[in-house]
Amino acid sequence: MMSPSHPLHLVLGPIIWALWFALMYAVLSVVCQVAPPAASLGALTWLNAKLLVLTLLVTLLLLLPALRCWRASGELAANQRFMARVSAAVYLLSAASTVAVGLPVLVLPPCL
Amino acid sequence: MTEPVNSPDAALHRRFEKVWGNLPSWGALAAVNHTSIGLRFMVTGMVFFLIGGLLAMLVRTQLALPGQEILSAGVYNQVFTMHGTVMMFLFAIPVLEGLAMFLVPKMIGARDLVFPRISSLGYYCYLFGGVIIVFSLVLGIAPDAGWFMYTPLSDATHSPGRGPDFWLLGITFVEISAISAGVELVVSILRSRTSGMTLATMPIFCWYILAMALMIVFGFPPLVLASVLLELERAAGMVFFAVQGGGDPLLWQHLFWMFGHPEVYILFLPAAGIVSTLIPVFAGRPLVGYRWIVLSIILIGFISFGLWVHHMFTVGIPQLAQAFFSVASMLVAVPTAIQVFAWLATLWTGKVRYSLPMLWIFGFLFVFVCGGLTGVMLALVPFNWQVHDTHFVVAHMHYVLVGGMLFPLLAGFYYWLPHFSGRMPSERFGRWGFWLTFGGFNLTFLLMHLTGLLGMPRRIYTYEAGLGWDWLNLLSSLGGFVMAIGVALVLVDFVLHFRFGRRAEANPWQADTLEWATTMPASSYNFISLPEIRTRHPLWDNPQLPQTIAAGEHGLADIDHPRRETWGSDAVTGEVRAILHLPSNSWLPLQAALLLALLCISLLLRSYPLALLFTIAAVLVLLRWSWHNGAHPHADPVDEKEPVDPPLHSRTLDGPGRWGMVVTLMANGTLYASLLFGWFYLWTVAPGWAVPQQDSIARWPLLASGVLLTLAVLWYRRLVARLRRSEDLSLQAGLWLVAAIGLGHVVLLLWVLLDASLQPRALAHDSVLMVMLIYLLIHSGLATLLTAMQVVRVRIGYVSRKLPYEPMVLQPFWSYTLGVFWLGYAAFILLPMTFGALAVPLGGQ
Repeated sequence: MMSPSHPLHLVLGPIIWALWFALMYAVLSVVCQVAPPAASLGALTWLNAKLLVLTLLVTLLLLLPALRCWRASGELAANQRFMARVSAAVYLLSAASTVAVGLPVLVLPPCL
Repeated sequence: MTEPVNSPDAALHRRFEKVWGNLPSWGALAAVNHTSIGLRFMVTGMVFFLIGGLLAMLVRTQLALPGQEILSAGVYNQVFTMHGTVMMFLFAIPVLEGLAMFLVPKMIGARDLVFPRISSLGYYCYLFGGVIIVFSLVLGIAPDAGWFMYTPLSDATHSPGRGPDFWLLGITFVEISAISAGVELVVSILRSRTSGMTLATMPIFCWYILAMALMIVFGFPPLVLASVLLELERAAGMVFFAVQGGGDPLLWQHLFWMFGHPEVYILFLPAAGIVSTLIPVFAGRPLVGYRWIVLSIILIGFISFGLWVHHMFTVGIPQLAQAFFSVASMLVAVPTAIQVFAWLATLWTGKVRYSLPMLWIFGFLFVFVCGGLTGVMLALVPFNWQVHDTHFVVAHMHYVLVGGMLFPLLAGFYYWLPHFSGRMPSERFGRWGFWLTFGGFNLTFLLMHLTGLLGMPRRIYTYEAGLGWDWLNLLSSLGGFVMAIGVALVLVDFVLHFRFGRRAEANPWQADTLEWATTMPASSYNFISLPEIRTRHPLWDNPQLPQTIAAGEHGLADIDHPRRETWGSDAVTGEVRAILHLPSNSWLPLQAALLLALLCISLLLRSYPLALLFTIAAVLVLLRWSWHNGAHPHADPVDEKEPVDPPLHSRTLDGPGRWGMVVTLMANGTLYASLLFGWFYLWTVAPGWAVPQQDSIARWPLLASGVLLTLAVLWYRRLVARLRRSEDLSLQAGLWLVAAIGLGHVVLLLWVLLDASLQPRALAHDSVLMVMLIYLLIHSGLATLLTAMQVVRVRIGYVSRKLPYEPMVLQPFWSYTLGVFWLGYAAFILLPMTFGALAVPLGGQ
């Protein structure tokens, strides 16, 4: 497992966020093109449910390394502490971004 | 003449200058030094800025009063298209890259960028590409479809002239320059910082430039691909964006804005870097929240890629998808706000000196925050629909770009002026220039928000009286001319200060960063000796540093050899790992750029035999360039007296060349990913997507070709692994074998392409397939050719177990070629088979 001060942590959170974001848009677009859920269902569709589950999983995936980097940062030397703390914040804000962008699946119909 | 500031001993200076200096007279065209190239980028960029500004004045003159016919509709279209094109592609990006190229080595304690010849190539590509684009205006055949060249307006049917071709080919040419500078800046920042400079102590400006450069690497390839595809559609009749045949004009919009939105932040980040550098200096205290700012830079770098669809809210995508992009567009305001609060906190807790650069910084804070707020308004879908394609959007864009880029840029120019001339600007001229620019700008664009809210569409060449827009347009035009006078005053001040400016004293602004320890005006080598740096504020913590550097009391002060040397350091810790020996003056970049320019012109003239000739010539020059590396006599032949601890980088396994290759492949991979996106997009969404009834490609020979490629790559990896263990027995024979297997793969792939019954002029499906095959062929051919060259270099003695560097550089390219081959095979052959695309066109209507 990568050390909490590894520089890759600085970008891994946003990379995961970006992949999730692209996946959400792609899945939504393709499903709406191929097999759109009925508009009368509003936001209560299987598609919204799956997108929500995906959002929650990715959020969790981002929160765990945030916690790990933050916990480890106290014991590290200055340069490594800098990397670990910035990484923890990046993961945390990536998780917050995931929740924020994913929230509309609770209220909007998918294919209108 | 007065002695330059921070100047070393004259004899020492002469010895360094002999190694690092440019050639005299016309020989200066062969310069590769970052100071010269950075300055050239900036001066050329400012010339294009003047051209773009003149075009803006024409626009404002035309719109000042209703019903004017000063410009015809056609000319007006060319003028506004070229204004946007020149400002975005020929001014903003290059001038910021030029500033970064000029400053970064001085800030990180290096003597040059790591790929100096690429700097020079980038400059010439930019210059020639820019001249080609602007020349279309002189000929009266400039592009006229808007700076984002939407299809179908820009296709051959609706724009049959050569205008879009100038745009597509010229911009692609210029983007070679931007991407090459991006690669160079990334690797330089990561691998050539002076001893001990960790990522945590790196100047904040370099964090911004690192993010900007990476964003260029990932952001520009989608537009390069889109431009190539549209040019293929226009010139060769292939189908990508035309609905007939299965294309989709919206694909252009996606690809354009995948570039276009990050572009805004590519412009903003370096400008914000200037702000974060200047504010602590004029507040007399360290930047508040360095770590928070690094965090916000990283987040902006990523989130800005998730906003592209907010330019497409009106094209008919589902509301939920719009909501994703709407929220992401609002989210990007968070890291931006973090920076604004950090700047305010720094100002609040410091003792601010209101010098000339700070005026521009305050102007930036006001204008950019306003632009950011209208940006949040535009992120709201219903409001966006309401003001779409109105002058409100034009006003917002100018608030963000002029406020977020031009104001900090001018602040930076004033701040670093002593580096260009050794002199200080005129406070009086400068203040007049600022207030006229600031006042004129707000008069023009603040009112333009209202013009847009009153419904005036953008890009109309005239309008009727009585619609409520008359007085607003008149005042906007008046403001435009006031702003032009302000900018003219600033430029006059810049020019005059070279003659009349007060001579700068050492560190005139009491700054903290290392560039103020260099000679002013700048020398070719930056530092006589390279200091160890363990702090974010080297000049505040050790004010004597410039003197000890000039006295040669730090590292690499020896110049009893012809090598241009700087430290090669660890990407994270900054500890020295090697000595980078950098190329000296070279004509090769100019030759290569000239041939590429001639290729570009041949394509414009649709003279394809000539284009082929220039392509071959350019490839030959580039191969010659690659030949002059490593232990070649023109680079650094093996010498018993050469340093061993640390060693020269070409004697190691992991120098900047390998990093440069990997970063270049990231850009290349983004281009390929964009092609895959295009394929899946057309397949699933294009309304007229159609597929041929029979297989158009021979699958089994393609598979066999892939097997050969896999064998070649596996064997190559084995050779490299042995080289890592210092074993070079039968290296030459092994490379021969790899080249031979690679050649077999290329021949088979070529046969598949020639044998394929593709109809690229009829079907988008076949057009994309053809592009994919050509892409694979180019990569495989190049990998094979470069390996064959390695065979010869082993024989001559340029590559061996003591010189293992070059095979290490080539290895990622082979691996990449293998990866894209199988990815392509899966996406273009296997997936359609699995999902039955050959029989039932998805999304076909």
